[in-house]
Amino acid sequence: MTTATLAAPAARTGAGIDVLFLVLAVLATAVITALVLLDGQVASAALVLGGFALGIAFWKAEFSFTASWRRFLNRGEAGGMIGGLIVIAIAALAVVPVAALFPNYGGAIAPLGPSLIVGAFVFGIGMQLANGCGSGTLYTAGGGSGRMLIALVFFMAGSVWGSLSLPSFLALGGIDPIIASDYLGPWGGLVATLASIVVGAAIIAAIARKRGANWKPSRNYIIGGVAIGLLCVFVFAAGGHPWSVTFGYTIWGAKIASALGLDLSTAPFWQWPGPKQALTNSVLSDTSSLTDFGMLFGAMAAAAATRPFAAAAWPPFKSLLAAAVGGLLMGWGARLGFGCNIGAFVGGIASGSVHGWVWFLACLPGCMIGIRLRPLFGLSRD
Amino acid sequence: MRTVYVFVVVLGLAAIVGQHLTSPSSGRAVSPEDFAGACAPCGAPCPSKK
Repeated sequence: MTTATLAAPAARTGAGIDVLFLVLAVLATAVITALVLLDGQVASAALVLGGFALGIAFWKAEFSFTASWRRFLNRGEAGGMIGGLIVIAIAALAVVPVAALFPNYGGAIAPLGPSLIVGAFVFGIGMQLANGCGSGTLYTAGGGSGRMLIALVFFMAGSVWGSLSLPSFLALGGIDPIIASDYLGPWGGLVATLASIVVGAAIIAAIARKRGANWKPSRNYIIGGVAIGLLCVFVFAAGGHPWSVTFGYTIWGAKIASALGLDLSTAPFWQWPGPKQALTNSVLSDTSSLTDFGMLFGAMAAAAATRPFAAAAWPPFKSLLAAAVGGLLMGWGARLGFGCNIGAFVGGIASGSVHGWVWFLACLPGCMIGIRLRPLFGLSRD
Repeated sequence: MRTVYVFVVVLGLAAIVGQHLTSPSSGRAVSPEDFAGACAPCGAPCPSKK
């Protein structure tokens, strides 16, 4: 491998395939899958492959929560947002009843309180500055955007920072999770969850119509939404709980920080049983890391299979700065808000947990501020 | 940018393999929400448990 080879992708790519990065992506996925299979963990291998398929689906459909929400807030276009609700509705069909009926499965739940609201709001600012949310950062960084690679690094840093802040915010108070199936049973909970999604979609579509904008999802968003929804069900079946992204970033950041000499073990967050074990155990023992790795390499494979990989020049400094600031805010916000668009919004609503809708309503005003801040970094408001 | 990506992928994969081989494993992959008392995906306790 030479520098000349790396710098001249077109010279050795046939039919748009970037062999080097396609091989790297498949090889990396194979290595990670082999490592978990050597430990006899078939479910872990399924999570890696589920993540890989998610990376391909997101990349092919160009499925973006961030851009969809920005289009809705700026112009009233609701197709992308409704595409996101298709994902949630499909996931809910499995998550709500299975989590209520089978003890080995659980939903994505979280308490309601200041931490959730502040976290989601700050996350919204960050996702518009970075131009990608939790899943968006993964598939665009994996797909060859160096800008989003920087967002990912700062997402990790912000997430570790958020882990140190979270206990203080939880001390401000809150109420236990409110889950539809706890009150209505598995099937009543499912009906209530689907009804909330339909009402949400109807309100979003009505706003779009009132603003004279399109509310129908594009073909890409319908097909992508169905595929991603089905993959959410697959990840839920393999992992025992809904797909989540950002705890993986927290663990990666914490392990790097620990390797650099920062002692996190005495921090309250890292003394809770789950984070404590994740900090000491193999990164491949964490479900969100497994799907995250798969998604990164799935997007890389999808991108490399269609065109020269990462062939674009680096964007201007101000754009990179926006990615860094956005990543930092998203990381901090994701820890306080109990996840991102995937773990809190998709996973929360698909579990019939009220916190998913609260997260959404708190994130939107943050997005509005983030959109207003974008021109400061040389980014368009659209 | 391609050179950076090759470096990041190779270094990242080496770090994953090295960290996995030198760390204990819980067997089945878990999430913090799988632990008793967890009230959120990150393993945070419920407000009522404080």
